[in-house]
Amino acid sequence: MAQKKNPILMIILIFFLIEISLVFFSKGFNKEMQLGFDKGKFVFRNIESEYNLQHKITEEFQIDEYYKQSGEEPSIYGSNHLYNFFKKVFGQNSAMGTFQLLRMLLLVDILLLFLAILIKKRLLERPSQPQILFEVTYSALEQFVIETLGKEKVNYTPYIVTLFIFIWISNMIGMVPIPGFIEPTRNLNVPLGLGVFAVAIVHITAIKVKGFWGHLKNYVNPVKNPLFLLDIIGEFSKVVSISFRLFGNILGGAIIILVVSSLVSYVVFPVGLTLFFGVFVGTIQAFVFTMLALTYIGVEITE
Amino acid sequence: MELTLAQGIVKAAALLGAGMCMGMGALGPGVGEGFVAGKACEGIARSPENASLITRTMLVGQAVSESTGIYSLVIALLLIFST
Amino acid sequence: MVLSVEYIRIAAYLGAAISVGLGAITTGIGSGIIAGEGALGVMKQPKANDQLFRTMLIGQAAAQTAGIFALVISMLLIYGGFDIPEGGWFRAAALLAAGLAMGIGAFGPSLGAGYSGGEACKSVSRMPKHGNAIMGNMLIGQALSQTSAIFALVVSLLLLYSVPVQPANLTVGKILLKSVSFIGAGLAIGLGTIGPGTGIGFVAGKANDMIGRFPNEKSIIMRTMFLGAAVSESTAIYSLVVAFLLIFAV
Repeated sequence: MAQKKNPILMIILIFFLIEISLVFFSKGFNKEMQLGFDKGKFVFRNIESEYNLQHKITEEFQIDEYYKQSGEEPSIYGSNHLYNFFKKVFGQNSAMGTFQLLRMLLLVDILLLFLAILIKKRLLERPSQPQILFEVTYSALEQFVIETLGKEKVNYTPYIVTLFIFIWISNMIGMVPIPGFIEPTRNLNVPLGLGVFAVAIVHITAIKVKGFWGHLKNYVNPVKNPLFLLDIIGEFSKVVSISFRLFGNILGGAIIILVVSSLVSYVVFPVGLTLFFGVFVGTIQAFVFTMLALTYIGVEITE
Repeated sequence: MELTLAQGIVKAAALLGAGMCMGMGALGPGVGEGFVAGKACEGIARSPENASLITRTMLVGQAVSESTGIYSLVIALLLIFST
Repeated sequence: MVLSVEYIRIAAYLGAAISVGLGAITTGIGSGIIAGEGALGVMKQPKANDQLFRTMLIGQAAAQTAGIFALVISMLLIYGGFDIPEGGWFRAAALLAAGLAMGIGAFGPSLGAGYSGGEACKSVSRMPKHGNAIMGNMLIGQALSQTSAIFALVVSLLLLYSVPVQPANLTVGKILLKSVSFIGAGLAIGLGTIGPGTGIGFVAGKANDMIGRFPNEKSIIMRTMFLGAAVSESTAIYSLVVAFLLIFAV
């Protein structure tokens, strides 16, 4: 709001300033720049004489491959030491990609942490706007948890809410107009990790409720279910479908935005595409991931 | 990897078969699961007090009708990796 | 084995024709369903003419998304600068497969979006008071059923732009294997989106119908719709995985 200082805006502004100053004052920033639309974002960008879509796609989605092909010397914030460190730890084939992913994940985590601390500090009787947003999200998801798992299992709410907010902010952060800001969920490792843990929590809950042997009997029971091996494959396919759904949607949006904005360089149209793929698809996929994790738990408990 | 023409043809047929297997195998389960979910929407609208029961039935029914999709996934993976 | 430029161009033009030709079939059918239901609705409820007309137009525009994707792919195939000699059989096969993927992949989503929009028009004509809620739900449902079309678009863009240049001195068997695997990837994602696209469209159509009848239960109906649509999509995701494997891992 205009009359009061908004804490969220302040935090985002501070992050922008840190990022922009890191990008500007590093050595890698000596090309001539201009203001314009690129990948649906309003950014400073390099003036390039030739625009090769194939190279662009390689640069955007396979950054290590790009450096190998172009022969450019890779560096992180203009420092070679940092790159060499990443190269030593993660290998040459995934050093830059891992750095980008880790940077975005850390940004999302720190942002969430700051938000949580700030909002908890300023809990008010008449809540401020960010507090209302979080309270509405929390109580709506709590309602879903109660409907699906029952009143006594309400202690699953924090997990569900964290999952939702983390995926939502991860999908949103790709819209921030700073070069190099990618959605962490675009990298398969992040959705796969989230999916593996969601399915693991489903099974831990089932073991807690029904006991180890009781849970195992559901699967390995050759009399009742002669095709029990396929049920075990079905569990793996749960992980695959829940994580590839998120990954495919976010990656698809990113590729389409890149291709369309290279076809129409100076038009405002990609901004609308960014809004569709960022806000609409991002929110729906975060919601769907959370609800699927919740209902998988619910199916195991109530059987 | 050195491949003769005959081996190449066999492997190529397997890969084409994997693609067609997964593609056609996704046809039936997709329509069927959609039908289940549509009817579940109808049921929940008519009797919202049974919402959680209907949702559970829907998920279990979809899991069962998805099993043919999983069979085709297994066959496609076998065709890609084991020939 | 090196191809001359003409053969790659032939493959690109063939792919362009397949893409927009097949993709236009059900786009037309879907838009026609929506228009038919809209006309029927005007007959039943002439007072709701404006609302119905708006719903019909927006629904048709959303149902044509997959057709527009197919158009984009065939434009790229014709004008995207694929008439370079390098690439050989790999590129020729990948261009053909890109056209196949998007052309067949537009089938299901358009049909589903058409059914969803038709049910929405029927529902608006029954309950013009809740027209806005029904229209919002229709748009969300159509966007859900277009996600499988987006998968097809992604695979077809990857086939256009990330296929490696064919190295020299490969054996004939290896060239054949790799080229056929691209076509297999296109067929996998193309055929694999038909079922989920149609199924999600059915879910969205039923949800539109029920929101028109029981507008008080809107939130729970929409939640069921999201969940059901997400689970129906999983076979399209398996197809996406198989297509990725066929492109990158073989």
